[in-house]
Amino acid sequence: MLKINDLHARVAQNDIIKGLNLEINAGEVHAIMGPNGAGKSTLSYSLAGRDNYEVTSGTATLDGKDLLDLEVEERAAAGLFLAFQYPVEIAGVSNMEFMKAAVDAQRAARDQEALSSSEFLKRAKAACKQVNLPLNFLKRGVNEGFSGGEKKRNEIMQMILLEPKISILDESDSGLDIDALKIVAEGINSQRDGERSFLVITHYQRLLDYIKPDFVHVLAEGKIVKSGGPELALELESQGYAWLESYDRTAQDGEQ
Amino acid sequence: MSSWLAQAIDSAEKIEDWLSPKRAISLAKLKETPWPGRKTEAWKYTPINAIERAQLSEKTGTAAKASEIDNLNSIDLVFVDGLFSEEASTSELPEGLTISSLQHAQSWALESFNQTKPSKHFFGLVNDVLATQGCIIDVAANTTIEQPIRITNSFSEGAQAHTRAIVRIGESSKLTVIEQLEGDLASLNTFFAEYQISEKAHLEHYRLALQSGKALSVGGCHFNLNQASTLDSSLIGYGSQLSRVDMDVIHSAEHSNAKLNVIYLLDGKELFDLHSAIEHTKPNGVSEQNVRCIAADRANAIFNGRIHIHRDAQKILAQMNNRNLLMSPNAQINTKPELEIYADDVRCAHGATIAEIDEEAMFYLQSRGVSRSEAQIMLSFAFINELVDQMKNDAVAQWLRPMLRERFAQMEIR
Ligand SMILES: Nc1ncnc2c1ncn2[C@@H]1O[C@H](COP(=O)(O)OP(=O)(O)OP(=O)(O)O)[C@@H](O)[C@H]1O
Ligand SMILES: [Mg+2]
Repeated sequence: MLKINDLHARVAQNDIIKGLNLEINAGEVHAIMGPNGAGKSTLSYSLAGRDNYEVTSGTATLDGKDLLDLEVEERAAAGLFLAFQYPVEIAGVSNMEFMKAAVDAQRAARDQEALSSSEFLKRAKAACKQVNLPLNFLKRGVNEGFSGGEKKRNEIMQMILLEPKISILDESDSGLDIDALKIVAEGINSQRDGERSFLVITHYQRLLDYIKPDFVHVLAEGKIVKSGGPELALELESQGYAWLESYDRTAQDGEQ
Repeated sequence: MSSWLAQAIDSAEKIEDWLSPKRAISLAKLKETPWPGRKTEAWKYTPINAIERAQLSEKTGTAAKASEIDNLNSIDLVFVDGLFSEEASTSELPEGLTISSLQHAQSWALESFNQTKPSKHFFGLVNDVLATQGCIIDVAANTTIEQPIRITNSFSEGAQAHTRAIVRIGESSKLTVIEQLEGDLASLNTFFAEYQISEKAHLEHYRLALQSGKALSVGGCHFNLNQASTLDSSLIGYGSQLSRVDMDVIHSAEHSNAKLNVIYLLDGKELFDLHSAIEHTKPNGVSEQNVRCIAADRANAIFNGRIHIHRDAQKILAQMNNRNLLMSPNAQINTKPELEIYADDVRCAHGATIAEIDEEAMFYLQSRGVSRSEAQIMLSFAFINELVDQMKNDAVAQWLRPMLRERFAQMEIR
């Protein structure tokens, strides 16, 4: 499904992703963990096509289609979804209007028939219920005045409505209370159907108790430095990242 | 002297009623005020010679009344060509609310007349001397009027209409007033409203200045805020051949709070001009003014907003924010935010900017599959819709939204 090969990306003249390889097959759940500043969000943004996140070399394909060649909205229509670490507030555009435009645009791009307003509304309400957001959140401005946890649940709501092939969830568990964490995890699990895939970026093992990953990777210094099964997350939880060779190197750099 | 003005003065001199003592003062002032021209500061960008050229006749009262607002359930005061239509208006009033015609004398209203509206407004003076139709609205103390009052004004071709509203909201009372102006035919109207907001009282106010096309509309709303009273006002301006609103908010006691939101949506050769003044005469007041303008084609938007903090009016919190979106190189926006501060312990901010598309929001929308061009339209409309979202009255907001969206879509097409 998603194939990333020797990806290099830079932000504001800084090389952040430095030769990253990752392959995610249909139906798989992969987790990426790694220290702050390792480049996890940079990887997500580069794949989503954000301005100023410049891919300098390497490839990324989704079902064989070259993602890096597409406009941001074309990547979404191709089936890529990014749940933002920091969802954006847009006053004056209602959540409903936003999602209707998104669903319409994606369906049109895929030559699917448009949803009727009532069918859309039905789905939007169901998605809202699933992540335990009151229905009036559909009428409110996009993320406007939402609490941190509500924003994260709103991202999952969007994912449920858009049914992407691959969802990259950038710290969708951070800032959530215990109940909300379960709701988000259940929201994600409900979408697992053996076809759709997930890349879960997280700092905590906790989320992975709910969403059993097939693989866990450690991203440091712009590369995957270690991969393993779910047990790797447990290991990291107890040992932290001190074992990373790169960690020492950064410390030495600091002393020079 | 302008021939229109000469005629107006002539008509005014024949009017004899309970307001005559007040009218006489304004008439004297009007006679000594020069006809506003390009050199008159308050009219610098707003030519009024169209008034001279207009073919105006006697009142006919044949225009259709203004459109209904769904689900509003309002107390309607309907004016057609400046004439009160009793049959179209609501006669049953809730307890604590008194409404009478401007033709019937009321001693408090005589006192209130011109107490809030400053005499500097040229067409305010015109309205003083010519308005014989209008309404006097009085809310008793400690009364919440749940039903909004809606004052509608519509006009037929050639009509000339001068109407006035005098409103008093008693201590600790609450009222909502919607002023609605509609029509695109060549006609001239002045509609001025004065509000006395007593101690701890609250006014929710809307002026829907939706005249367009050839309409000539010059009017104003003026608010006097007493101790701990609050005002929440929204003004929507379409433009027309001439659309001008003067607004004054006078904080005449402490702890009063005023919020003014303004939306302009102008297309074609339309002009809309808002001149507003917020006067803080006493300490501890709060004002917030948000003005958002979208101008397309060859439209002309004028905003002159002044916040004046008098000496010893300490601890004032005042904010004015003016953002503009130009959709065509030929559209014009003339904006002049002014802060005049004579107290030293105040927090004030003002700014006027040409709005730019927020790239972060753009990326977010696109990342969900929305095309850049569609996202651009959504964000531009959001720019004004944000203020519609802030309206407390859902029925008004819901009625306006599709209309504004439609108007905006028309502007986009060019
Ligand atoms: N716009 C930018 N300008 C300059 N530096 C940037 C920019 N965006 C990211 N960086 C830098 O790139 C590096 C990687 O950042 P990134 O956000 O990808 O880290 P992360 O792994 O997601 O961290 P966290 O766990 O804290 O979310 C950081 O050192 C960061 O400061
Ligand atoms: Mg991050």
